[in-house]
Amino acid sequence: MCRILVACSGIFCSVADASDLETVPSAVMPEEHFAVFEKYCLECHDSLTGKGNVDLEELSFELGDLETAERWQKILNSLNSGEMPPEDKKQISDEEKTAFLDDLSHQLVTARKVLSDTGGAITMRRLNRREYKNSIRDLLGVEVDVADLPDDAGSGGFDTAGGALFFSSDQLERYLTLGRKALDAALLDLPVPPRPETRKVRVEAEEEANKRITGILRGYHMGGYRKYMMWKASNGRPASDFGLVDDKEMEFRKLAWDRNAPQYIDYLTRPETKNGALITIGGNLCPQVPAVIPDEMPAGNYKVRVRIGAFPKMPSERTFVEMGYRGDRIDGAIDLIETRKVNGTVAKPETIEFDLALRAPKNPLKEDVGTETKKVVMLGDRVVVFRERQPNVRGSNVYRNTMAREATGFGPDPALWVDWVEWEGPVYDDESAWPPRSHNEIFFKGPGVALDDAYAREIVERFAEKAFRGRAASPAFFDRLMAQYRARIDHGEAAHDAIREPLAVILASPAFLYLAEPVGEGERRELDDLELAVRLSYFLWSSLPDEELYELARKGALKRPAVLAKQTARMLNDPRSWEFVSGFTHQWLGMDRLDFFQYNYRLYPEFDDSVKTAARAEVYHTIDRLIRENRSIGELLKSDTVVINDVLADFYDIPGVKGEQFRRVKVPDDLPRGGLLGTVAVLAMGSDGERSSPVERGAWVMRHLLHDAPPPAPANVPQLSRHAGKLLPARELLLAHMDEAQCAQCHRKIDPIGYGLENFTAAGQWREMEYTEIAANNRVRESKEHPIDASGTMPDGTAFTGFYELRDQIAKREDAFARGFAEALIAYGLGRPFGFSDYDLADEILAKAESKENRMSQFIHALVQSKPFRTK
Amino acid sequence: MSSGPFHSPSRRNFLRGGTTLLALPFLESFGFRRFASAAEKSATVPKRIAFIGMGFGVTRETWFPDTATMGADYELPDGLKPLQRHKDDITVIQNLSNQFSNEAHWGSTFWLTGANRYAEPGQSFHNSISADQVAAEVLGKETRFTSIQLGSETADTSGHGPGLSLAWNRQGKPVAGLDNPTLAFHRLFSDETMPLEQRQLLLKQKRSVLDSVMENAKSVGRGLNSSDADKLDEYFQSVREIETRLSKEEQWLGVSKVQPVDPVKVPREGLAGAEEIKLMYDLMIAAMQVDASRVFTYRQPVTSLLQSLGATISAHNMSHYQPGMRMEASQKRDRKNSELLAYFIDKLKASKEADGSSLYDHTTLSFGSNINSIHYLTNCPTLITGGGAGVKHGRHIVLEDTKTPLSNLWLTLLQGTGIDVDSHGDSTGTLSELLTG
Repeated sequence: MCRILVACSGIFCSVADASDLETVPSAVMPEEHFAVFEKYCLECHDSLTGKGNVDLEELSFELGDLETAERWQKILNSLNSGEMPPEDKKQISDEEKTAFLDDLSHQLVTARKVLSDTGGAITMRRLNRREYKNSIRDLLGVEVDVADLPDDAGSGGFDTAGGALFFSSDQLERYLTLGRKALDAALLDLPVPPRPETRKVRVEAEEEANKRITGILRGYHMGGYRKYMMWKASNGRPASDFGLVDDKEMEFRKLAWDRNAPQYIDYLTRPETKNGALITIGGNLCPQVPAVIPDEMPAGNYKVRVRIGAFPKMPSERTFVEMGYRGDRIDGAIDLIETRKVNGTVAKPETIEFDLALRAPKNPLKEDVGTETKKVVMLGDRVVVFRERQPNVRGSNVYRNTMAREATGFGPDPALWVDWVEWEGPVYDDESAWPPRSHNEIFFKGPGVALDDAYAREIVERFAEKAFRGRAASPAFFDRLMAQYRARIDHGEAAHDAIREPLAVILASPAFLYLAEPVGEGERRELDDLELAVRLSYFLWSSLPDEELYELARKGALKRPAVLAKQTARMLNDPRSWEFVSGFTHQWLGMDRLDFFQYNYRLYPEFDDSVKTAARAEVYHTIDRLIRENRSIGELLKSDTVVINDVLADFYDIPGVKGEQFRRVKVPDDLPRGGLLGTVAVLAMGSDGERSSPVERGAWVMRHLLHDAPPPAPANVPQLSRHAGKLLPARELLLAHMDEAQCAQCHRKIDPIGYGLENFTAAGQWREMEYTEIAANNRVRESKEHPIDASGTMPDGTAFTGFYELRDQIAKREDAFARGFAEALIAYGLGRPFGFSDYDLADEILAKAESKENRMSQFIHALVQSKPFRTK
Repeated sequence: MSSGPFHSPSRRNFLRGGTTLLALPFLESFGFRRFASAAEKSATVPKRIAFIGMGFGVTRETWFPDTATMGADYELPDGLKPLQRHKDDITVIQNLSNQFSNEAHWGSTFWLTGANRYAEPGQSFHNSISADQVAAEVLGKETRFTSIQLGSETADTSGHGPGLSLAWNRQGKPVAGLDNPTLAFHRLFSDETMPLEQRQLLLKQKRSVLDSVMENAKSVGRGLNSSDADKLDEYFQSVREIETRLSKEEQWLGVSKVQPVDPVKVPREGLAGAEEIKLMYDLMIAAMQVDASRVFTYRQPVTSLLQSLGATISAHNMSHYQPGMRMEASQKRDRKNSELLAYFIDKLKASKEADGSSLYDHTTLSFGSNINSIHYLTNCPTLITGGGAGVKHGRHIVLEDTKTPLSNLWLTLLQGTGIDVDSHGDSTGTLSELLTG
């Protein structure tokens, strides 16, 4: 007997159309698929036989509870893995199987969503890692290093989802330690010591470079070569007589001499090295020029300057200088801080100035001396270096050096010349700011006032009020804190040290770490003004409210729609809204993928950290500008402008962009840029660092632009390997997806979108031919080029011939994109996954935004004004 | 030395003790005899249990022994070849899996728990206690560290899935790990240089910190609905855990951390890949030798392991291998893992207990992942070794039920180690065939 409980057969509750339903939708497997059961499964899995305890006749087609969902999950798994039907039984036709799996995988996604829906309830949330860092900065004026805290962004949803933000004992200990560190950095001892003097130190670049290079040439290379010559002339005396281990080492030293000496001699005899240093890609000659700031210099703001010029006729991409921390690495990689274009020349150099927020050192300055070469390298947190921009990977410069040496005989031409480097600091922007504001805000009575018990308690209470966002703590709490303070004083600790203890405890207390909004069981209520101020500031600034918000909240005015709108506009205009723009965008568009891969430096030397950093920033700045300039979200799909800086202009080949700041630029007619799909960030994410991936790109477009996310990659699907080891274009490889129904069900929609982006390399550059190769250890065994066919189809079947038509097709679907954006915004802003109970809210936001040309800022305003945003 | 509330109370008011270790007799002469109680252990040689999770799965074609050859009469395939010298002392088991696992890149999240991600209505993630933490509740009583969780800095890209280590506590919440050898070394072997009196004071101060935050937590908790209260309960739970840790710390206050017979040097910062794994193994052995803990988990790096083997592809790309460069990298990784594991077993065998037996005889080590290979989650690669749970080794066991719960293995090993439990995760029974010849 077949018991299908579904009356409304054929209703297909995909995410997009469910908004039409009055109630929370349910996940229902269309009735027609029972035919598959009848034809292929019931022989063993009917009520009577029930093989393996699986009774498909009794199975409900409505995935309404966890148990049923679990049973369908198992059906999905056994079909995906090919386990069912067994090999000796009749196999399901490809057509039936594809349709069945397509429906089932989508219905399971729906079922999981329905079953995990919170019904609109917002779970109390802990400050996530970003919010903690920002809150400490706004409280104390200090940047803390939060690397030790768990990154809350990893669990799939947004890092604002209270339900997913865990707390562990290790974390509590880390909050205590971090809070104490922040206080140590923010507060001065009493009596206040004099302000550290600003120092300025300039180092001529040739001093260090020439000494080091001469040393290696004379010592290691020339020394080795001499030994080799003497050994050769000695008629068979052992190598050890000449101070080297064995014959092999002798031969190696000869080889090293032949290979390297010309480079060294060339370097030292060039006129430019008499009064400067040459930096270049590759080799171990002079890849970096360091500025070493001594460990004893206090943390603070510094200026670092470099006098630098480019050699004539250098290609544009070789005229950028990177500044970064060397830290403890001896492999040439750096922590990139900034990249600048060098406009000066060797004949007429320029001085480039960088701002550096210097931290207290963790790893002290030390020398690393090469065991053989005696090459001395300075290591430590305070070693700031300059180098020509290049892939930040060990091995990349060795590879490029080898390539260049094969061509020129002595390595790559130097691109940049450095006259000197200079550091200056700490620099103070306001001469009177001593003690610094961070100190004065805690010791609010001024530097002359002694710290007694009463004053200490006032300090602690004032700080708690700020940290607890205006909520009063209990007297018993302060009594305990003061007892801790007293105990330390009694043990002989200085008052200015002892006071840091209760302040650190405040920063690890739940009233600071959690955004609590008390509410009765099963009840809903409107937020009070203070709660609203907090929700708003953590939404748009990822940090504490400022004084203006508190003031309005105290007056009870913030709730008024007009005031709320004005504040929202003010906050979006404030630089702190960058926290929303970057934090939200990074997660919304899945940009963590940009860091998943080491891009192959042999194939894509141009895709280095300078470009990657700028690429990420481009997306953030694009969205930032949309908000500030009141532009439509449609521009993310298609636009005739881009927001870029000089690094990206060089990468995109857009002329006339000077300077590192991002600005809006018109896209030249023949360039395929403008809109997210033309950004190097999105295109590079759609690769694995080696080859472009139509699958990743297609899935990204469906998930983020078309609001039609494919189900998660299923487990246990047999991997395609029919084409393994052949030099085929990506498109041809992917056709194999159509061989298997398990793959075809999703890939028939995903892959054809990705084909439309095949004119972009894995690193986002335009190409006419697709290059494929088989390589190992940087040696290409075999390679081949293929013409690109960038035609494809949209999921609804609409055909396009290539990138531009694909982009037009997507731009036509702005409504779907707007819905996806609204849902993401709701999830991020309310701090819980978007649920089916949020459809009305999404509709409301969409209607409001649409009436205002889909301007990005209007979505944000609509959410802030909505009832759920103002409700606990 | 840092001076946070959980570190020294002041950098200035106490003289730092020398770096030499304070020996017990010295302390006793100062009247701290009572602290020595923590160092008194039961006379029998203790049992130990360790789990090593390898993230992304193996190269299925060359890691699993031929299923036609079962029992003692089987050949180690290419991926396991480096373990040849220990063949009689290892067991490879096929057909284990976690029935609820659907996440193709989560090699560790549910590996030791067998939980159903969707078991909680209204939640999109749920987990339950891991096997190691079940063991720690019993085996951890007599040691300084209840359990040790080791990890790596590249775990995020190594196919382990959500979690902070392999371990999940009783509440199903992630337990943090020590993510590099330097951290692990200091936790296990660096002694406080601070005088005892100061350390006692410090403990007192830590307790008052907990009292203060609890006071605040009570006010925050007022008026919360049940789901918010559940969240705040994680905070309470954390405070309780620290309290337990502090009590233990107090118990061990006068007892220096015992240094291993073969001293382990302070690891250089920035070790990565194979070198890092080897060092973590050394640290585990050393910690077993001095009985610092009896329960260990290690969430191994894949990304940095690959890099240290000279491969330039990402771990994820490797896991989706096809014949050619990717598969070669994957196989090379398998062999390296086996080579390192063989080294670990060498050391287990070479370390002697007081009664002449070896660490190997009393330890159970499981090596594997929730991921078989690529996107496959059935037949989780599983290799066990060590005499701690009474397993008859030297065999290749292919379980008849192709979907035998991994939890059955964990239950078997837990019981074999003397832990009194009836079930674990989704277990349906034990694997008696492991214990009989």
